[in-house]
Amino acid sequence: MLWRLAIRNIWRNRRRTLLTLSAMVVSSALLILCLGIFSGMLKDMLASATEQYFGHLEISTKGYQEDRDMFANFSVSDDFLLLLQPQVLGFSPRLRSFGLLSGQDKSSPVELLGVEPERERQVTSLQDHLQAGSYLLADDHEGALIGAGLARRLAVKPGDQLVFVTQAADGSIGNDLLTVRGVFATGDQGHDNGLVLVALPWLQQLLVLPGRLHEIAVRIEHPLQAAAFAAQLRQKLPTTLEVLDWGELLPEMREVVASYDVSRLIIVSILYVATGLGILNTFFMSVMERTREFGVLMAVGMRPGQVRLMVLLETLAMGLLALLIGVVFGVLLSLYMAYVGIDLSGSLTPITYAGGTILPRLHAVLEVTNVLVPAAVLLLVCLLAGFLPANRAARMQPVVAIREE
Amino acid sequence: MSLIELKSVSKIYPLGNQQVVAVANLSLKIKAGEFTVLAGPSGSGKTTLLNLIGCLDQPSEGEVWLDGHNVGKEEAKQLAKLRLNKIGFIFQSYNLIPVLTAAENAEFTLMLLGIDKVKRRQRIVELFAELGLQGLEDRNPSDLSGGQQQRVAIARAMAAQPAVILADEPTASLDLQTSEDLLALMQRLNETQGVTFVFSSHDPLVISHARRVVSLRDGCLESDR
Ligand SMILES: Nc1ncnc2c1ncn2[C@@H]1O[C@H](COP(=O)(O)OP(=O)(O)OP(=O)(O)O)[C@@H](O)[C@H]1O
Ligand SMILES: [Mg+2]
Repeated sequence: MLWRLAIRNIWRNRRRTLLTLSAMVVSSALLILCLGIFSGMLKDMLASATEQYFGHLEISTKGYQEDRDMFANFSVSDDFLLLLQPQVLGFSPRLRSFGLLSGQDKSSPVELLGVEPERERQVTSLQDHLQAGSYLLADDHEGALIGAGLARRLAVKPGDQLVFVTQAADGSIGNDLLTVRGVFATGDQGHDNGLVLVALPWLQQLLVLPGRLHEIAVRIEHPLQAAAFAAQLRQKLPTTLEVLDWGELLPEMREVVASYDVSRLIIVSILYVATGLGILNTFFMSVMERTREFGVLMAVGMRPGQVRLMVLLETLAMGLLALLIGVVFGVLLSLYMAYVGIDLSGSLTPITYAGGTILPRLHAVLEVTNVLVPAAVLLLVCLLAGFLPANRAARMQPVVAIREE
Repeated sequence: MSLIELKSVSKIYPLGNQQVVAVANLSLKIKAGEFTVLAGPSGSGKTTLLNLIGCLDQPSEGEVWLDGHNVGKEEAKQLAKLRLNKIGFIFQSYNLIPVLTAAENAEFTLMLLGIDKVKRRQRIVELFAELGLQGLEDRNPSDLSGGQQQRVAIARAMAAQPAVILADEPTASLDLQTSEDLLALMQRLNETQGVTFVFSSHDPLVISHARRVVSLRDGCLESDR
């Protein structure tokens, strides 16, 4: 009966209810969408940082990731790789070298990553960012996959010849020919302008480091659990090796992710404070208008607590209704942005920040918390905004209230 | 023992830096089954007195006893309980709850008392038949005439079979014929079911139906017959 009263009371002033309701619906739907896009950006950043280069974890000699010393190399047994296999989505043994890459008549300093193509593509996703040509093939000894900026600077295209010069581990100058197989464009300027993927045996031969590696990049199923997985892996490794998760490789990125939860709450609060004040205003008005009625309800024996409950139920009912519609709209909008999105590359260039790249697109990712947080906060706001008017109603003196005209 | 007993009751309202004495040192006893009218000119304290008896207000001085409870000593929640269990109210302007239907208005106190739906409906059918309201159960108050609304208000006041029904100028908004019918109805309820009524009115018609008339003037008892 209290519910019935509450719901009918809501529909008394239809226009006002609909206005308040639409404010609540719009704010919660927009919030869900905003948070979705925010998550999408974050995911893009994290993906560009991990899926284009590092992977989620790196196994390397202690200190290697700080100075990238050529001599800090290691080898692992096949047993270890077999042990790693079932626990991860992919792993890629790599050897790295820095040197000068030349095309027909131009040169540029580059970073070469020697990889096993079939394994590398399970860790990074450069194959999804090909602009020209194709990815390296498993048995391709001298192929190279180069960044788009680099290809432009050297004026080369797939099929062209390159020469790479560097110092080998034995002190000699190593140089050899490569053939461009493909060109990738990730949006990350650093990688697009200076990263080259080559075959691992080719680089091992050039550097005179047969069978040696600088790192093993690993991809796991849940990137946000990388730290825990790293700790677990550390115990199985010889003490000369270390495991760094992406948070340690990219500390700024970790902070961006950590600050996300805070930013989300701030956005939610700002939007809802405005909505909350609107609700508060509406409910105060509706309670004050019904002063006499509350007096009658109390005169015939309704207890103050029941009056308070009734007003709270009204706000709650409105909140629930707004929530239902808002969530549906928000999820639909987010789904649209997740599957269609808006491409902004016409007017914006990619921004690389904290080691990740924000792509010039509006693209949402649907996460449960992005729906639950706005939903829960909306209900909370409704109850808070309802509390003051409810208390006001409950504290009315029936004699005074009934005399009110 | 009396159902209602007022012992040297005063009600003083502060008004700016003055004081308005609405009821002054008034003593009164009303027994169960009585049909009493509080008469008196405007401002004589009728509404104030009914509010005191009805546990809507508490005396400034003196004691108000209702069926063994000292009204002046109770808290808001306790007063609400007393009103629910002992008193039925009829107001001059009906004061039905606009979002509830006639039947829902009438069964409201039963709902507050936690009586189950079947029993509530039974009682409403019974009451509506008694009050000539059959067929109006699902109407909204706004779709009823003044006399019909006031009869629904009587149904609401009677539903929980209270010890006393208090009515503040119940006929003031009604035309002569409707007032006459309503008074006859209440008188019949008083005679056949022993419902205790206390009215306030300055309407000679109402006063003529009363068995006991308590006249007030300036908050004091003028006559009691
Ligand atoms: N809340 C209040 N504050 C100040 N004075 C009040 C208040 N309520 C009533 N009074 C005063 O108390 C006196 C008695 O008022 P009351 O309403 O009881 O009279 P009444 O007999 O019901 O009059 P009426 O026939 O006009 O309804 C009046 O002088 C009135 O002005
Ligand atoms: Mg009066």
